[in-house]
Amino acid sequence: MDDLVQTGRLSRKRYWSNKATQWVVGLGGAAVIGAITTIFAYLLWVVAPILLPASIDSHLDFAVVERQPLLVDVSENGEAILRISAKGILDFYDAESGQPIAAYNLGLNIKRAQRVYPTVDTYALLDEENRLLFVSTQYIVDFDDGTRRLTPKLEFPFSKTPQAMGNIESFDAQWLDDELVIASNAGATINLRYFNKIETGYPLPKAFEVSVSSVVDVSSLFLGPRNQWLYAVSASGDLDVIGIKPKNKIARLYQGSLATNDNEVTAVTALLGRYSLMVADNAGFITQWGIFVSKDGTQLEPMRQFEVERPSVRMITEPRRKGFMAVDGEGDLTLLYPTSGRVLADFAAGLSPDAVIAISPRSNLLVSAENPSLIQTFHLENEHPEISLSSLWGKVWYEGYEEPLYSWQSSSADNDFEPKFSLTPLAFGTLKAAFYALIFAVPIAIMGAIYTAYFMAPAMRAWVKPSIEIMAALPTVILGFIGGLWLAPIIEEKLSSVLSIFFVLPAGLFLFALLWSKFPEKVTARFAGWYGLIVTPLIVITIYLAFDAGPFFEEQFFGGDSRAWFRDVLGLNYDQRNALVVGIVMGLAVIPTIFSIAEDAVYAVPTHLVRGSLALGATPWQTLVKVVLLTASPGIFSAVMIGMGRAVGETMIVLMATGNTPLMDLNIFEGMRTFAANIAVELPEAEVDSSHYRILFLAALVLFMFTFALNTLAEVVRQRLRARYGSL
Amino acid sequence: MAKSNSFFRSWFASGEPWIWMNAAAVGLSISAVVGILLLIAVKGLAHFWPSDVDLITYTTETAQVQQVYGEFVELDQVSVEQFLESGGNPEWVQPNAEIMDRWLVKTGNRRISAPDFRWIFVDQISARTTPDDVMVLERIEWGNAYGVPTTLVTGADPSAPISGPTLVAALNQSIAAANDIRDQISDLEGGILNNINNRLERLRLEERGLLLKESEDTERLQEISAEQATLAAEYAVSERKLRGLYRELDQDELVITTADDIEINVRVADILHAWQPNAMSGLQKTGQYFSNLWRFLSEDPREANTEGGVFPAIFGTVLMVLLMSLIVTPFGVIAAVYLREYAKQGVLVRIIRIAVNNLAGVPSIVYGVFGLGFFVYFLGGNLDQLFFPESLPAPTFGTPGLVWASLTLALLTVPVVIVSTEEGLTRIPRSVREGSMALGATQAETLFKVILPMASPAILTGVILAVARAAGEVAPLMLVGVVKLAPTLPIDGSFPYLHLDRKFMHLGFHIYDVGFQSPNVEAARPLVYATALLLVTLIVGLNLTAITLRGRLERLYRGVES
Repeated sequence: MDDLVQTGRLSRKRYWSNKATQWVVGLGGAAVIGAITTIFAYLLWVVAPILLPASIDSHLDFAVVERQPLLVDVSENGEAILRISAKGILDFYDAESGQPIAAYNLGLNIKRAQRVYPTVDTYALLDEENRLLFVSTQYIVDFDDGTRRLTPKLEFPFSKTPQAMGNIESFDAQWLDDELVIASNAGATINLRYFNKIETGYPLPKAFEVSVSSVVDVSSLFLGPRNQWLYAVSASGDLDVIGIKPKNKIARLYQGSLATNDNEVTAVTALLGRYSLMVADNAGFITQWGIFVSKDGTQLEPMRQFEVERPSVRMITEPRRKGFMAVDGEGDLTLLYPTSGRVLADFAAGLSPDAVIAISPRSNLLVSAENPSLIQTFHLENEHPEISLSSLWGKVWYEGYEEPLYSWQSSSADNDFEPKFSLTPLAFGTLKAAFYALIFAVPIAIMGAIYTAYFMAPAMRAWVKPSIEIMAALPTVILGFIGGLWLAPIIEEKLSSVLSIFFVLPAGLFLFALLWSKFPEKVTARFAGWYGLIVTPLIVITIYLAFDAGPFFEEQFFGGDSRAWFRDVLGLNYDQRNALVVGIVMGLAVIPTIFSIAEDAVYAVPTHLVRGSLALGATPWQTLVKVVLLTASPGIFSAVMIGMGRAVGETMIVLMATGNTPLMDLNIFEGMRTFAANIAVELPEAEVDSSHYRILFLAALVLFMFTFALNTLAEVVRQRLRARYGSL
Repeated sequence: MAKSNSFFRSWFASGEPWIWMNAAAVGLSISAVVGILLLIAVKGLAHFWPSDVDLITYTTETAQVQQVYGEFVELDQVSVEQFLESGGNPEWVQPNAEIMDRWLVKTGNRRISAPDFRWIFVDQISARTTPDDVMVLERIEWGNAYGVPTTLVTGADPSAPISGPTLVAALNQSIAAANDIRDQISDLEGGILNNINNRLERLRLEERGLLLKESEDTERLQEISAEQATLAAEYAVSERKLRGLYRELDQDELVITTADDIEINVRVADILHAWQPNAMSGLQKTGQYFSNLWRFLSEDPREANTEGGVFPAIFGTVLMVLLMSLIVTPFGVIAAVYLREYAKQGVLVRIIRIAVNNLAGVPSIVYGVFGLGFFVYFLGGNLDQLFFPESLPAPTFGTPGLVWASLTLALLTVPVVIVSTEEGLTRIPRSVREGSMALGATQAETLFKVILPMASPAILTGVILAVARAAGEVAPLMLVGVVKLAPTLPIDGSFPYLHLDRKFMHLGFHIYDVGFQSPNVEAARPLVYATALLLVTLIVGLNLTAITLRGRLERLYRGVES
């Protein structure tokens, strides 16, 4: 081309337009590859963080005014650190620089300070005279002189004057909406105070008080979920669970020991939600004891066990998640998460044994205050602790259940809810839907394809093929709507009729074929390629008759009520929108896909093979079975694969024609929840970059890779087949 | 016996029964397609027919004789067993009967006499007449009302209520006047007031943008506040006018008597349309039918989408699909040209081709997920940071919208265009290219002047198929831009006229939403069928066009090849 320019035979303009076209087209080609890789890469990029390991890093050490610390905490956004000390002084520090930003003196001698569960900004302070004071922190941001400034403020939610509590050794307080419950003990006597209809800014109303004596030597107390019960634990790990609601019916629910294998218990704490207790022992095990209600009453069972390097002496829980940090005798940290059973990270922090420690509300900072003048902070990089390979695919023992199970339940109204992210029920539902769809579609599509390609008169084939294409083009939302709103009620009402079709139709056809063979051949031969058309009214009539025969079947085989029969005799529950409906409707969506590929494969079988076989005396049917189908079988296989790919990823039909409950049951009369439908329902609501969001992306990635693999397999098989036809 | 055995053996060996089974599979598939299309067509089209309103006298379960006006919807049969199980009156069962017939009757008058659909057992009906004077009122809210009109109180002369033979004419006049005022109101609200609001919003954003940039342009700031003041004044004028129109609208009132002799007052402002079906001739009914059909196509939905029309959904679907085809056509054609004309046919091209084929098989929901993550949150979020910082944290493009939906569907349908175009390019004989080059044309000239024109039917087929596919897709749209009710169309009279960031309505999603999410499924069902019919017509029409085009193309090249 350059020569052409030089010799002046090609004008500059034409040369450049040619070049430009080349580039643009090349770019277009690159864009296709780019698009495919971008889809894959982007999905992977969103999913990847759930695979990243967690980490703990030392962040900042700073010296502070000498005071004996009782509690440290971090503000909601992680900007300020609070230290409460024994002289009743609350110091606030900037979390980035360690500079003091405010200090308040309450003028009390405090001996104990605790967060009021489940808040992250309200504290109960117990003074030397056994009086309780409630304090909340608030952080006000202003831009007065152009720079951002954070001003911590103290608030007293109920009253500035501390409340006398009598003799107290340890206590726990839980504040839920308008109810505050305080449990405290003096020896084995537990005092419960219920404050109802409380309101912020008003003094606490008079408490309903009740005391109960525990059977254990109480050293710590934990109020259970919704103040329904109370865990009293002794230093040696003896547990007493007392039901405290309703408040006039206090009763013991459970008692027992939390020790395992006779190891000595070294620390006990309750996780967020208070459905399980973490128990550390001197052998280096940390055991999760879960509470659940079975027919034998309330029980605690060890759900899972962690092993850490050195025995833990205490455990710090995350305020908004179920994770916790174990601290060993050397002051080293180990980060753990129960749901996934993961030991996430450890760090040789070397904290002093008397340090007070807390994890920030967003679980990204750990702060420790040592006696008398050191504060240390540690960065926690731990976005998705609840996810592991086994928690995604295996059975997981969730809080409140008797045993490990597969479950998908991504969200709930409660803040202390343990999300259940098992992909297994969804994968099961996806395959179940595809399975029933294929059972219905594959025989019809392949048989139809064989007939169309091999037996059908060309004139009929010329309009059968476009009709099937039209079928492929029917929007799935319409099929789903017909399945869910039209077919599902019909099947529910006339179940026996619908089931009888599967027997009556083949029987009717068989009889008709028999009858046909009795006609003189002179007549029948003229209709050779038109069976498909002749048989259509027969099908319609047979289905109509089957509907009429339904009640007869119902009486004969199902005792008058088929749904009740399936329930009572076979133990199969019946949902209105179930796998049978999905199988039929999604089958209709898949038939054209399988049909047209299989038809191509059968049609493309070289004619000399067929003629050879026929010439050797085989009947057309023998030729079909022994020669044509055998040759075309890879093509039919790839047709089924592609059909399966379509069934696996279909969204609207499943969404509309099933109940979308994540069951793990092959029962054809119950629904399922598939990956695709689950994504469509949950992704718009999922918080961006949360674990839930990333798992939904993972579900999409799984679908993508699965269908991509299926299609590639099918495509490779087809290309090989084409090459073989070429060589034949 | 032996004879029949040998007959069966040879009959099975001939394969005849199996061939019949295979033929039946084809028949079953075809009847399924035809059946579905017929079902949708019949149920969808029947909805608009102004059916007669019966006056039905029947005995209720509590043994009261009741009269209702209602439209017959469907006949249903219940088995006696079911009837008794659900607590039915055993005295109603005929001796030796196994099934009982019942009618579903639409009785309307929601909020006055519940329920608006009732089951009436045929045996309990003592009388059924079709009185000529019963009138159907299509109300803006609460569905249809059925009754005999008695008086019309007009605002013009409240002391002289109209009744008797002039009533119907006066009522129609009053309804026409009300419709006229309503049009004016919607013009004012949707046009002038909306425009002023948009301009005010733009000024507010500009002001905020200047402040964010700490601009010293006080002159512009003053201008802005001056403009704001003028606009506010304009707004006040239009609003006064609007209030006047509302007052004018709210004047006439119609009194109708229901079948059980209750008088209801209906504001004429609440009536969209009134007709007396029993008095209408077949021709009038046909006219009414087409008018109903037209209103379904041209009006906005009402009552949580369970009534009214689907115009915004049609508009949204068409606009989205148009935008999509603007994106997908060049992209798909260029890619196909690259694969067929420019790239060296080797392993890489084979891999790309397999990948393109595979993309067509990737579930559409995966594209939706990708679109939401990549287009909406990643691209859109960054666009907002760069170009619309003044409206943050309210997202402009960082939220699902029209442009992202079009892009996502373009990505979804690009394999269709590529495959079809490639097919067209393959059919063009090598000799054509060589001839063009031999005459001295460059490769680009050959492409533009010879190859692409020859391939244009194939490209068109691909684009039509892509459009048909995109029009029927719902799952990805649920993630990237569709809403059940969009307050405004994506195109309107305020700058920049085409609002790519807006959410839109879509026929397919409308079906899902109304059929499965609406509170009153029974009332909405006919509408869902009608919407489904519309969508099916659109898609089947597009596909038939593509099939015809392809057929023509095949015939065309048969000539070239030989």
